Amino acid sequence: MNCVELQQSLAEVEDGGSSEQKAHLRTCPACSALLKELNLIVAAASQLQEANEPSPRVWNSIEFALRQEGLIRPPRAGRSLVPSFSTRWGAARWLVPAAAMLLLALGIYLRREALPDQVEHQARVAVAVGNPPDLDDADLMQEVADNDPAMKTQYAENLRQVNESIRDAQGLVDESPNDEDARRSLMDAYQQKSMLFKMAMDRSLP
Amino acid sequence: MTEPRQQQGSELSEAEAIERAKQGDAEAFRALYEKHKRRVYSLCLRMTANTAEAEDLAQEAFLQLYRKIATFRGESAFSTWLHRLSVNVVLMHLRKKSLPVVSLEETVQGTEEDSPKRDFGADDVALAGSIDRMQLQRAVESLPPGYRMIFVLHDIEGYEHNEIAKIAGCSIGNSKSQLHKARMKLRDLLKMNRAEKAGKSRAG
Amino acid sequence: MVSKRTAKLVAIGVIVAGTLVAESKKEYHFAVGPKAGVSVMNPYGSISVRPSLNNTVVVNVVLHSDKVEVDNNQNGNRVDIQSHLLAGADADSGRVDYEVLVPADASITLHSSTGSLRAEKLHGDVSLEGAGADVDIRDISDAHVHVKTMNGAVNLDNIQNGHVEVDSLSGEVTMRGVNGPLVQVVSTSGKINYIGDFGNSGEYRLTSHSGDIEATIPEWTSADVSARSVRGEVHDDIPLQPKNHTWFPIDKGRAFAGTMGRVAVSSTVVLRTFSGKIHLRKRSENK
Repeated sequence: MNCVELQQSLAEVEDGGSSEQKAHLRTCPACSALLKELNLIVAAASQLQEANEPSPRVWNSIEFALRQEGLIRPPRAGRSLVPSFSTRWGAARWLVPAAAMLLLALGIYLRREALPDQVEHQARVAVAVGNPPDLDDADLMQEVADNDPAMKTQYAENLRQVNESIRDAQGLVDESPNDEDARRSLMDAYQQKSMLFKMAMDRSLP
Repeated sequence: MTEPRQQQGSELSEAEAIERAKQGDAEAFRALYEKHKRRVYSLCLRMTANTAEAEDLAQEAFLQLYRKIATFRGESAFSTWLHRLSVNVVLMHLRKKSLPVVSLEETVQGTEEDSPKRDFGADDVALAGSIDRMQLQRAVESLPPGYRMIFVLHDIEGYEHNEIAKIAGCSIGNSKSQLHKARMKLRDLLKMNRAEKAGKSRAG
Repeated sequence: MVSKRTAKLVAIGVIVAGTLVAESKKEYHFAVGPKAGVSVMNPYGSISVRPSLNNTVVVNVVLHSDKVEVDNNQNGNRVDIQSHLLAGADADSGRVDYEVLVPADASITLHSSTGSLRAEKLHGDVSLEGAGADVDIRDISDAHVHVKTMNGAVNLDNIQNGHVEVDSLSGEVTMRGVNGPLVQVVSTSGKINYIGDFGNSGEYRLTSHSGDIEATIPEWTSADVSARSVRGEVHDDIPLQPKNHTWFPIDKGRAFAGTMGRVAVSSTVVLRTFSGKIHLRKRSENK
């Protein structure tokens, strides 16, 4: 076996362990060095397996999509979610906007805490999430104040308006649960609020 | 090698997280994500050499996983399942871009790649000791797409040639030969890099 | 960082000294193929996009201080541009203004908090998002147009055969000559103005919780129209053939529903508000 043949054979027997390879390697320092270098590369390759961390944006997007698709369900049904909707819209569609909004607020809360023990905090906040908007809205405004203070007034006003629209739409639904327009207006209101939260989150992300 | 995980102590076990994720538990989804995000994202980044694409693909891989999580019965390791899914997501994406990243036959660049060199560059700087991770990362990113894919799947991610052959739609022999060429190319890139650095330090 | 896969993918950066003390200008060129994707993420400042004459993306940038950089990346047929704020940057010092030329079939995604965001004369998908950004999109055909804004005004002009979705919390939305299989606007408190003919046998849904909705259309428009305001008033200047059955009560002054025009296949128009006014106006023929 010559050097060319040795190199070709490394494709099949990578470690130079065949008898012909061993025989050649014993007498050829250049091929020995080549094999050593290739082994170094292979050994170093595993360093790259978990070398990189995705930005927080990835999880935020996943979470948002899970909400949109109804794959995440809140621990207990919110008071605004009327069971009869499920026949028409599917329960998930109703759960999604409300929960999406709360979950984004949860995301803001977690980011603000930014502590290593995220799981423990998640458990604490999961309880707090049961309280609707006040906690989440305050966290949203704090996030905007911290990261985009120039927009604080505008966010506050839009938040006020969208909360009002949710209350109005909820009132309509309570009055007429079978009113398709009422149900749709509630969903639109939640989605608008969800969009507001998402804008605040996008702005505050590095 | 791998950096220590941030979650300690009271984290959910994976089995517990999977069961809770099936029930739609947000915390469980998050726990699974935290556990596997680096592996999935690094795979996507190695294969695409682009952070924006890698993030999109990592997102897609996790979403596909979560959509199917109800069907996971524990026959194989969860991480294996996630990993296979991630590879599929990346390959689908690369195929859609119509870049010759899956057809291994097309990655050979010129006849000089085919004929093994007799002279291994005796004057070259040797690759001794350990290889710097960032340098290796850059060298992998510089590989032609087909070589990069084989190297990532086999040497970084640990797939066997028979698995790669199925994934990439090539023969086992082809997978082996392309892997060897990928390693040889990486060797050349790393040695060039070291030679440049050595040249600079001599001149400086 | 990213290896150049084919010889035809080239990026050229040219730095030109600006006339103002801290201002600087840059220009980037990217060769792309058909249906390229171009995205520009810019926290502070304007972005305007027009068609280029060839298969090149040209990005002209004005940076208002040295507290912001421009990151650019091309991967195959996708070009990503991002303003990268450095420590100490604010809305003024972090401002970057972009003028971008793209092939007309390119899809574009633009983000800016402060805006303005403009796109014209394209037929690839257009996605614009900005909390306080004014948005102006005109002369787009056969494409998806998506707009998200908090309080920026949105102006859409001559969008033909489009799939249009606008979400604006409180910004006013004005549409002139916007037609397509789907035109949907959702707002919390913004006013919605539609001037056109509800053409293309499309589905048009204009919803504002407390903003007014005004649609000015010719008498010959062919559409199935329903309008409803829970607390506000509705006015209809165009005679409609009333519907025999509606699933909601027609409270005079709060709702109307009917068909207009004589063409067999017509558009569906849904106008909804909680406390705003709805007015279906007849377009004067002199216009």
